[in-house]
Amino acid sequence: MANAIISSRRLLSTGSPGVLNGKTGKFRRLAKDILEHRLFYFFLLPGAALLITFHFVPMLELRLAFFEYGLGGIGDFVGFEHFRTAFQGLGFPRAFRNTLLLSSINIVVQMTLTIIISLLLNEVVNARFKKLVQTIIYLPHFLSWIVVASLFILMLSRGGIVNAIIKSLGYDPVYFMASQTWWRPIYLLALAWREVGWGTVIFLAALSGIDPEMYESAKLDGANRLQQMLFITLPHLFPTISIVLIMNLAKVFNLFESVMVMYNPMVYEVADVLQTYVFRIGIQQHRFAYATAVGLFRSVIAFVLVIAANRLTRKMREVY
Amino acid sequence: MSMMSRQQTLFSPRRKLRLEPFSIVNTAFLLLLISIIVIPILKVLVDSFDGMASETVFSLFPRRLTLDGYRHVITRSTIIRPFFVSIGMTLAGLLVSMTVTSLYAYALAQPKLPGKKIFIAMAMITMVFQPGLVPLFIVVRNLGIMNTLLPVILIKAIDAYYMFLMMNFFKTIPASITEAAKIDGCTPWQVFWRIILPLSKPGLAAISLFYMVLFWNQWFEYVIYLPKATDLHNFQVFMRSILIESETQGYDGFVVASQALKNAIVVISIIPVMIVYPFVQKHFVKGINLGAIKG
Repeated sequence: MANAIISSRRLLSTGSPGVLNGKTGKFRRLAKDILEHRLFYFFLLPGAALLITFHFVPMLELRLAFFEYGLGGIGDFVGFEHFRTAFQGLGFPRAFRNTLLLSSINIVVQMTLTIIISLLLNEVVNARFKKLVQTIIYLPHFLSWIVVASLFILMLSRGGIVNAIIKSLGYDPVYFMASQTWWRPIYLLALAWREVGWGTVIFLAALSGIDPEMYESAKLDGANRLQQMLFITLPHLFPTISIVLIMNLAKVFNLFESVMVMYNPMVYEVADVLQTYVFRIGIQQHRFAYATAVGLFRSVIAFVLVIAANRLTRKMREVY
Repeated sequence: MSMMSRQQTLFSPRRKLRLEPFSIVNTAFLLLLISIIVIPILKVLVDSFDGMASETVFSLFPRRLTLDGYRHVITRSTIIRPFFVSIGMTLAGLLVSMTVTSLYAYALAQPKLPGKKIFIAMAMITMVFQPGLVPLFIVVRNLGIMNTLLPVILIKAIDAYYMFLMMNFFKTIPASITEAAKIDGCTPWQVFWRIILPLSKPGLAAISLFYMVLFWNQWFEYVIYLPKATDLHNFQVFMRSILIESETQGYDGFVVASQALKNAIVVISIIPVMIVYPFVQKHFVKGINLGAIKG
């Protein structure tokens, strides 16, 4: 019914000679469309209100990065003063360095492990075993960072099993979580433990799209399983690999919770990342303006990375 | 449906099962992988029943079986209270977030909604640009909801990524079904409640799991937004103070925890996730793939 009315109105408006008439017809149609969809605007209301309150209003507060902030609220405009302070200080460059270093090693380690595991999992013929492995390796992703950190700390603490082994071999116990040498490897291990299994989801989805006939014909040509894996499966994964890589690069500046639960003042030198730095300076020491500036710097870089990554993946999709 | 048949052909063995060296090595590797994941969890489970004070030996069974750890959890109000906060907040969070997200997603799944682009853009922006910790903190403070449970739920109530996934589920439902329902006299609300939601069950189940885990695992929001309302802190925050802060920062916890108790706390925090996980696990991979392909 409604469609019939709209289409007849469209006929009328396109049929009328005056531009003005066409325009009012357009507005009428829009008004009618809006009226017809009125219920859906109520559907959008709660979500939109939350997005505005907790996302777009905070964006307005970013102006703090360019002002003094004291007891009386926002003070004088200081331009880029806070950014200069950040770059000349010690805490910010250190956090910046650690963020880059930990993220990039993490990306390399995780991507490699994820791809290897996906390829091997794809070769499993027994569907039940495959399902079992998948079920187990996806699980850690659903455990909180607190649980993951607890699991590692329980094993690595002074009375933990790892130190028990070290002691039984006649060496001194190691305080892993407080050691500047050990903290990074352990942190990266914990990250990999939680996320590598989950990372295979997207690769396995890509692998399921490969035409089985390819393998059949390769087999006829005498290719063994390793050759099939290297020359059929892996090349088919390249688009996915590059897209996942770019997406991971875009997330370089997002390290946060995982560090929060595992670091401590003893290892700030090797562990402090931008987000944890902002948390300490801003929320704990109440230097709102300065912390906002550092946070803004982080957000802008992250934003540029995400946008660049999007452009790149779109180009990639065109190429493949 | 076509997705299903594709999966089926995928799982049918495309090569004959033979004991090649490759399969043996492969299976061994995957078994190793499984044990790397399972052993730390299993160890915590075993140790939670272990009456011996030290953690020094790895055994598959408790050396001296004790239920002290669990008994302490149940009898000490300082421990059981955060647990119930977690349960309540997870249920509340799930209810609020699923309602808000599904309504938003369903509205955006309407092909001819005027102004749709604005609402899509709003959600997209949240994925690419985060204003950061401090501005959000200031807003929460200005709203006067510090030290209440409101920010904990409201900030996380609509996740753009899950919303778009859900929108894609809704879009896969053929328009002919909703049209037919409309002709039969269903109001748009009835269409949503009686037809769309039941048809999107796998997707909704998957996203419910994600939200459930998100709210169950939440801790940071409690630390930042409820600094003075420690009696409202959830189980994760409690676990952090007992297991992590006491270990890494010399924090003097208000409970001097035995090893069994510490391990029991970790086990209890994992249990709810473990209970729901198998039910929804079968949905989510399919759901995610579908969402990814359609998106």
